[in-house]
Amino acid sequence: MPGNDWVTLELDDIQSGALHERPSPYVGVYLLLRIDDRAAGRELVRRLQAVVDTGTPSPDPAHDAWMTVAFTFHGLKALGVPQSSLDSFAPEFREGMAARATHLGDVGESSPEQWEKPLGTADVHVAIAVLAPDLARLEAVAERARRAHQELDGITVLWRQDCYQLPTGRTSFGFKDGIGQPGVEGSGRPPSNPHDRPLKAGEIILGYPDETGELPPMPTPDILGRNGTYVIFRKLHTNVAAYRQYLRAKAADREEEALLGAKMVGRWQGGAPLALSPERDDPDLGSDPRRNNDFLYGDDPRGFKCPVGAHARRANPRDALDTDGSVDVRLHRMIRRSTSYGPPLPDGVLEDDGADRGIIFVCVGAHIKRQFEFVKTQWLNDGIFIGAPSEADPLVGSGDGATSFTIPRRPIRRRLQDLPPFVTTRGGEYCFAPSLPAMRWLAELP
Amino acid sequence: MAISGAQSSGPGVSVGPTSEFSLFFRVKPGQSESLRDALNDLQQTPGYRPGDYGMAITTIHEARFVLFDDDTRLAFITSFDGPWDAYMEDFFNSGPTLALFDVIFRHAEGYDGLPDLAAEKAFILGAQQSAAAYARNYPGTVKEIRKAQRVNAAFQRVLDHPEAAAALQHPALQPLLDEAGD
Repeated sequence: MPGNDWVTLELDDIQSGALHERPSPYVGVYLLLRIDDRAAGRELVRRLQAVVDTGTPSPDPAHDAWMTVAFTFHGLKALGVPQSSLDSFAPEFREGMAARATHLGDVGESSPEQWEKPLGTADVHVAIAVLAPDLARLEAVAERARRAHQELDGITVLWRQDCYQLPTGRTSFGFKDGIGQPGVEGSGRPPSNPHDRPLKAGEIILGYPDETGELPPMPTPDILGRNGTYVIFRKLHTNVAAYRQYLRAKAADREEEALLGAKMVGRWQGGAPLALSPERDDPDLGSDPRRNNDFLYGDDPRGFKCPVGAHARRANPRDALDTDGSVDVRLHRMIRRSTSYGPPLPDGVLEDDGADRGIIFVCVGAHIKRQFEFVKTQWLNDGIFIGAPSEADPLVGSGDGATSFTIPRRPIRRRLQDLPPFVTTRGGEYCFAPSLPAMRWLAELP
Repeated sequence: MAISGAQSSGPGVSVGPTSEFSLFFRVKPGQSESLRDALNDLQQTPGYRPGDYGMAITTIHEARFVLFDDDTRLAFITSFDGPWDAYMEDFFNSGPTLALFDVIFRHAEGYDGLPDLAAEKAFILGAQQSAAAYARNYPGTVKEIRKAQRVNAAFQRVLDHPEAAAALQHPALQPLLDEAGD
């Protein structure tokens, strides 16, 4: 049985990015680097550990900026991590996201053969993410990163992705995002849903008991694994024009378009959850952090308010599966840190302009398989758990062709047919974000 | 009449109309590989191919062959509709069952071809073990379930019709309307 004793997280050793809330608005940059020379790689890590952010995040997320550093399995190999340590990492991390593509539903246009280079290749070694509330603070932190890697022969910047919150404060599909986050014991940050008991620290940070009461499997030696976490990173292209065209074709007017979109997402564009506002958008509710995540699904088992197949309800079913007896939702939570990239498709435009836009999906957790991979394969790509094996998530669904989507409604349900994939995977990586002592250990490998 | 609790009607335990049936054999020395091949072949035959859902005996819910103890033993485990004692001789006498038995059980100790019904019965009954516990998660026979699926498929086609909401307003259709919302 999980104990109730409150753990103390060693926050000064944990990279802030793991537990830090995304500011809003935000700007950010993601860099991928290759280590061509082992000594240069270790020098890079030595410099980065001096500038990476740790400690208690500011209570006001708008007041600071921070950098997170993570390594792929190939990156750890390039640094010369001993084989016994390499073997101690989670199998999914060792395989890498590209090798997991078929399992994850990254097939067809989302398959690694189609991915943006160098994503999914053995060249990606180090990932650096910088997030800030504005460009000035982003530049200040990014400059620290630049000083760490520039003029180091043997370190190559392979890829850069800028991201920024759209002026609307919403995703390219038009929805306010980043609302629901689990709390983590010992992090000092409350959950966004007051009904939600904070997760055991070991769900998110290695070296602490998790929801099973056990310590999560942790890389060895202890100094390498403890206070680290896995970071999952995916570039997801959103086909906004196809999404708008689909809604236009299925709806009689703009009002019905908004309703269908909300039913697919589980929230209205302004962020109000269908569970609390099933009939119409409520922007005040959507923007009120004390209320916009304060709900459960137990009073709506058939999904008349929020469809059981809606994106948000799939990704976090809350109490909806509590009577199934086969699943503990708390084993499948994660911290999400997604950001938007690319220009918005102007309001009302239904034709694709060819621009690359979408979401840099980032999530953090101690268990790649039972957190990210479980949610992606069992709850988003598939509908067995809601009694509809042939239905995938209506928004991000499985990459292999069209799906259907049932909207419970009285007197009779509506079933949308032939939803094409509105999201295409452009690439991604499984990374490991070590603690500060682990980075020093990596820098000083014999 | 369907019985509600788990009950034994001769070999095998029943829940409602459905009975469990489990056989355990010893594999003839040196034949585990050929038995595995025969089971792989069986998996490719109509009815056993994944997704076929059309086994020759239409009252079987599911069936599995399991090799265990380093392939020295074989289990055949199934659930079927109807009481064991009433159907036993019919099973032993049915063409599909006999054909199946022959290719698989020839690798099992004690099997010497299919000389007569009495020998078959003795061979099968010698391998049968009743479950010590047996539960089912839904009532209903294979035929009832297939019927329910056909009715639901038809109902879903009705609901897809643009005028379904209006058509279902008749009071006689209220029980259907109650199921039409999701």
